[in-house]
Amino acid sequence: MQIALFVTCLTDALSPSAGKAVVEVLERLGHEVVFPEAQTCCGQMHLNSGYRREAHALARRFVAVFSRFDAIVTPSASCAGTVLEGYRNLAEDLADGELAAGVEHLGATLYEFSQLLVDVLRVTDVGAAFPHRVAYHPSCHSLRVLHLRDQPLQLLANVAGLELVEHADRESCCGFGGTFSMKNAATSTAMMQDKLQAVTEAGAEVLCSVDSSCLTHLGGGASRERLPLRTMHLAEILAKSRGSAPVH
Amino acid sequence: MARSFRDAAPFPKAAPVFLANPQLRANLRGATTTIRTKRDRLVAELADFESMRQQAEAIKNDALGRLGDLLAELETNVQAAGGTVHFARDAAEAREIIVALVAAQGVDEVVKVKSMTTAEIELNGALEAAGITPVETDLAELIVQLGDDLPSHIVVPAIHRNRREIRDLFLARMGEHGLAAPDGLTDSPSELAAAARAHLRDRFLRAKVAISGANFMVAESGTLAIVESEGNGRMCLTLPETLISLVGIEKVLPTNADLGVFLRLLARSATGERMNPYTSLFSGVHPGDGPQAFHLVLLDNGRSTTLADPVGRQALRCIRCAACLNVCPVYERVGGHAYGSVYPGPIGAVLAPQLDHVVSDPVSAALPFASTLCGACYAVCPVRIDIPRLLVHLRARVVEHNQETGPHLEAAAMAAAMVVLASPRRLALAERLFSALPGGALRRLAPRLPGALGAWAIARDLPPAPAASFRSWWSHHRGSQPAAASQLRPTAVLGLLGARLSRPRRATSVPPTERSGDARHKILNDLATLRRSAPVSSGVPAPLPQPARSALETFLERVAAYDASVTRVGPGEVAPAVQAALARSGARRVLVPPGLQAAWLPTAGPTCEQDPGEPAAMLERYDAAITACAVAIAESGTVVLDGTSGQGRRALSLLPDHLIVVVSADQVVDDVDQALARLRPGTPQTWISGPSATSDIELQRVQGVHGPRRLDVIAIA
Repeated sequence: MQIALFVTCLTDALSPSAGKAVVEVLERLGHEVVFPEAQTCCGQMHLNSGYRREAHALARRFVAVFSRFDAIVTPSASCAGTVLEGYRNLAEDLADGELAAGVEHLGATLYEFSQLLVDVLRVTDVGAAFPHRVAYHPSCHSLRVLHLRDQPLQLLANVAGLELVEHADRESCCGFGGTFSMKNAATSTAMMQDKLQAVTEAGAEVLCSVDSSCLTHLGGGASRERLPLRTMHLAEILAKSRGSAPVH
Repeated sequence: MARSFRDAAPFPKAAPVFLANPQLRANLRGATTTIRTKRDRLVAELADFESMRQQAEAIKNDALGRLGDLLAELETNVQAAGGTVHFARDAAEAREIIVALVAAQGVDEVVKVKSMTTAEIELNGALEAAGITPVETDLAELIVQLGDDLPSHIVVPAIHRNRREIRDLFLARMGEHGLAAPDGLTDSPSELAAAARAHLRDRFLRAKVAISGANFMVAESGTLAIVESEGNGRMCLTLPETLISLVGIEKVLPTNADLGVFLRLLARSATGERMNPYTSLFSGVHPGDGPQAFHLVLLDNGRSTTLADPVGRQALRCIRCAACLNVCPVYERVGGHAYGSVYPGPIGAVLAPQLDHVVSDPVSAALPFASTLCGACYAVCPVRIDIPRLLVHLRARVVEHNQETGPHLEAAAMAAAMVVLASPRRLALAERLFSALPGGALRRLAPRLPGALGAWAIARDLPPAPAASFRSWWSHHRGSQPAAASQLRPTAVLGLLGARLSRPRRATSVPPTERSGDARHKILNDLATLRRSAPVSSGVPAPLPQPARSALETFLERVAAYDASVTRVGPGEVAPAVQAALARSGARRVLVPPGLQAAWLPTAGPTCEQDPGEPAAMLERYDAAITACAVAIAESGTVVLDGTSGQGRRALSLLPDHLIVVVSADQVVDDVDQALARLRPGTPQTWISGPSATSDIELQRVQGVHGPRRLDVIAIA
């Protein structure tokens, strides 16, 4: 099937490898990926920081660019959450019926990457191999906005050689929170350090998530503290092919 | 002099001070972890927790939708029951009313039940200024008051203190206010609770005026419901001659039946108990039982303004359980004082700015930003307040105010970001510039930069700039495809299901209902419905199936779980069981209410005296009391006394240190709703779930504070 990629501005500019990995995995599974080049940003930063007018312009732009597709994938749970929940609230607050209708439609077409694989494409083994100890950080918006269950864990469980390690307080926030990380940098850092400590104590070499924003923050902290820990988006791990045919 | 939050610094300035206190961090982490674990276990026990949340939300929305009518109804019914109702538009008016009411009694001391609303209006300072000493009687509030401290949690105001700090405080300060702490006091929570009991006992017995808040008010009967654990609330509600209750106008519920779902939700959400030890219900004045003068002060103080905001008003559903504080990762690290508000944590961040007119001061305006929007609060809220949405809503109000009042650095940065993000070409250009920057030099420089970049780089390295953005990679490697992307006819999600798209999709979005009948859309809609119907997780696993058992068995098991003694007897065997219970406690003087069945009284052992009807404080001289009950509740292990025959006045089951309650099997109902249906509204009720207890010291439950420390339940099966 044809799938439109909503890469997100953050992945586009800072973590392009996660975007490339999404393309690679989906193509390996026999799907066609298109990248609507008119896309920019969903407006999450503006919306969550209180800049409603600006977020509204970006929301309308998003709907205009993506409403023509039947299946859209994004490597970010929080951007998907912004579109599906943030836009709905915005449409209600600003009494924008057109935007509300657009969001309603996107509700049936936009999927976070692991959701698309597991719930729509019904694939849990994408033919990946990655012989490392990996901790999975379930991002807040994947858990509590998109209500993802264990889709990412099902996918990781089928990666050859991968050892999934459990860390303490797995479901607690990493402390990023968008502009929170700058407005309340000290609190954000305290949360980040607790998360990094839990992950390193669990013996993980790689910290994996479905949100590049959390990973940029956690990776920046790990780098500063010179921890022996890499951050990787789920798609980057799944893109490591084991060279055999994927099992559907 | 009572301290206030008036001099507080805004959150971003205050938080680092608290973050740097390792003892505070350890205390908070220990306490919130304990309470979260208990709450999750108790919530998981209920099969219908989600539907209860929805029901509670609906009741509150209904009540808020006709608040004026309900308040008028409440006023009529409180006055019909012998009470007086006062309305206060703001904190100053409320303080004035209450100080005048106390002064009119000619007293220089009042006892207080824990009340956030009195803290909201800074009542203690006003009383002190009028020469009246407010005596906080809740253990945590006492700890706060003795330490000249401020509350840091809605339910457990001294959560920031550990047992050693509390012991030191008791030893140092109790003597200045009354009975000193005993020498050699250890830091065991039960010893600390016993010290508080001894310190306050005399205050309760001599008090003429008490001040309380309330958890709920019922319009149809003029009833107030006050939920507590230690028995200090019952002391204040029953011993003094005059009771003044200050209650926010949003706390009114339409009917008595509405109380059920809230009583079930509150204790589980707040302290992780099936039911809090004591809930008191009363309506106005009850002749011969409790205060004979009752004043209800209804407080607006920003609530009606909040109600006028269609998004913001949901904060008024709050029942002050503080479950959102206990799960909040920000609260856990900085504690309540960092918020600079009587109401801290996630709910404080959405309630305080609204009550205080969000943009009017820097402390309030910073609160909506004191969150990562992680959503843990919304997931546990028993009345489903969408706190993340409210935070975003209030952020917009702060930002829009800033934009109107002149140039603002952040607004300029956000506008600049818009210039880039509004155009894919400009975004691509910005990305190329970013990739061309000397990454290593920028990384080293960043921590010294001012503003957002510098704040980021204090503890985090900047991500390395990639050689090329995704967009650039795509146009180089897939350049031929994207140009045509918009013309490509999309094959649908159902490609995977083997179906084929039979006609071109229209470019604009069409409401799904117009496309019904089309298999493609049915499937898409089903998927969407599936996702939408995914319940909001309350963060707990599904309940285990419970084996079928009788209400009596469940009741007895749950009473026993509170560390009460349980005895099952046949109809003729009550007296020996009572006698054995009295022998275990060594009681010498035993009190019985009028109308108690004579056949239940022991034939040997201590003599039982009927309530002499003296002032309630005189009942202190009895060691034990025996009473019947009105109804008992299996789900929560609760017995309810309503003052009818064989139960007596409320003080009877409070002052003697050993309480024996006789329950017959036909009085046991399954749940709170069934109990409410059996009880007559407007009666003075005491709901008892185990001996008095407190969780105010490190969130560990300790048996026995001000109420009876020993509870015997004798069940006639």
